[in-house]
Amino acid sequence: MRKQKAGISAADEINRRFLKKSVRDVMTAWGYILPALLVFAVFMFWPLIYTVAMSFFKGNTANPTKAFVGFANYMTVLKDPNTLELLKNTGFYILILIVINFLFPYVMAFINHFVMQRGKKLYKVIIFMPSLISLVVGAMLIQWLFNPIIGPVSKLVVLFGGTMPTWSKTPGLVIFVISLVACYKAFGYNFLVLLSGVSNVSGELIEAARLEKTSNFKIFTKIVMPLTSSTAIYVLIMSIVQGVQFVFTPIKILTQGGPNGASSNILYGTYQEAFLYFNSGSASVLSVLTMLIFIVLLILEFKYVEKGVYYEN
Amino acid sequence: MKTKQNETQLFRVNSHSKRKSDLKWHIIFIVVVILMLYPIVFAVSTSFKTLQEVYSNSFGVIPQNPTTAAYAGVLAKIPFLRITFNTFFVATLVTLFKLFTGILAAYSFVFFDYKGKKVVYFILICTIFIPFTVTMIPNFITVSQIGLKDNLLGVALPQMADATGIFLLRQHMRGIPRSLVEVAELENTPHLTRLRTIVIPMVKPAIFSIGIIFFVNSWNEYVWPLLILKSEKNYTLSLALQMFVSSEGGVDVPMAMATSVLTILLPLILYIFCQKFIIETFSQSGIKG
Repeated sequence: MRKQKAGISAADEINRRFLKKSVRDVMTAWGYILPALLVFAVFMFWPLIYTVAMSFFKGNTANPTKAFVGFANYMTVLKDPNTLELLKNTGFYILILIVINFLFPYVMAFINHFVMQRGKKLYKVIIFMPSLISLVVGAMLIQWLFNPIIGPVSKLVVLFGGTMPTWSKTPGLVIFVISLVACYKAFGYNFLVLLSGVSNVSGELIEAARLEKTSNFKIFTKIVMPLTSSTAIYVLIMSIVQGVQFVFTPIKILTQGGPNGASSNILYGTYQEAFLYFNSGSASVLSVLTMLIFIVLLILEFKYVEKGVYYEN
Repeated sequence: MKTKQNETQLFRVNSHSKRKSDLKWHIIFIVVVILMLYPIVFAVSTSFKTLQEVYSNSFGVIPQNPTTAAYAGVLAKIPFLRITFNTFFVATLVTLFKLFTGILAAYSFVFFDYKGKKVVYFILICTIFIPFTVTMIPNFITVSQIGLKDNLLGVALPQMADATGIFLLRQHMRGIPRSLVEVAELENTPHLTRLRTIVIPMVKPAIFSIGIIFFVNSWNEYVWPLLILKSEKNYTLSLALQMFVSSEGGVDVPMAMATSVLTILLPLILYIFCQKFIIETFSQSGIKG
């Protein structure tokens, strides 16, 4: 850099140094993302392409030889009545997760920040705690808490004169109980993020509404919700994206999708095809279907949230 | 500060009814807190009970004849120390690697300007929304082909492609005052030095709490150990736990709970000591730059 030859004008030299520097800067910049990109290339981008390709081949998960079959795998999967059941169950799981992991914490965040007066700080610290607990432990806890004979939940039900059915053998109930594991894991995180979204709403605005005797319900729906919509949509989408993945572990550990597929969802269905029946073609078709569902969510995310959330400052 | 002032004002205006209505909300929150804590209390208490007492006194929080037999049973049944070390090894490896790639990438996205930056960032962030089953089969094949089946490295590798660290670290690095970096710019300080002396010290609390969450997530990881590991000596805690599950019960409940308690011990201790940083970092994970 310093060894510039004489005869070049000062402006030229500055220009050249700037150019050299900026080329070097761009190289450095790419160098810095290179380690991340390498890992992503091998364990994210390549697998994505490979999964799409595999959906057109008939093959065994454990065996590399595959035969091209066009859309045959798609036809098989789409005609299979189990696929409909998987999609239906996935929808049912998502519905429960939205209510318990999005609506509840949203309202609670509002109450915690704007309605409660004192002693409210400690709650978020405790409520966040289960987010650190392993889903395997969560699944085991649910299994014993809801055990029809010795579980405290069953004993409570009996105490109030009811009878506790064997939840793992009861369609419908099985999805609800398994969802509770995912709720236990994600509730605190969602509450935390929503709370910090809600706390960005100006207190004076709420105060002014209070002076006009606006009800808390109206303050929440007419002021807080519109002002926190980007955070809310972010949490809504994350609770779907994570929740659907979080229920995988309890399904695998407690019911293996049973009884008769009544607790399976599209992710567990993929796992089953891939690693229990070794049918990589059908598994990949289910993966592609999963991807399509999540791409819709992704578009929603970037349409409504991206501007507000990521580029807010 | 402002809201606090308003609160005290309000409190003065309508002190009596405010206190009363507050009680109602506290009850709701206390119920939620109990729902959150009860499973943990249940696990700890059951792990110190005898098998008979589990059946006769499943509600009682304090065991009548506390015993550590379940813990002794776990230590006898599985190579617990080895399994804990395995879990620790994988979690540490994944955490350090993800922090390393994440810090570098976030620095690049915040402090450089170049063509394609936005596209690359956008694509990386999109991967956060891809469920693990979509990449599961090819990753399983890759790990098998490089000969890392039944190997802890094979468990760690697929977990490293995770963009949440890049996202969170970028958020925090954007909050660093420009003026601090501009001085370095004028002095032409090398980027690695800037990263080491200016940027990392500024976002240290974030790195620290993101690191803890990475560690805990990998500590709790279930799917990759399940697919990759075969022999018991290579197991991680998640797989060891699974040995105590059967849908019909018929398993030693105190031992299952003892293993659960041992598994959640480290994450909970980390949380209790670093709770302030973690709450602060993750409060901001969805919002603001």
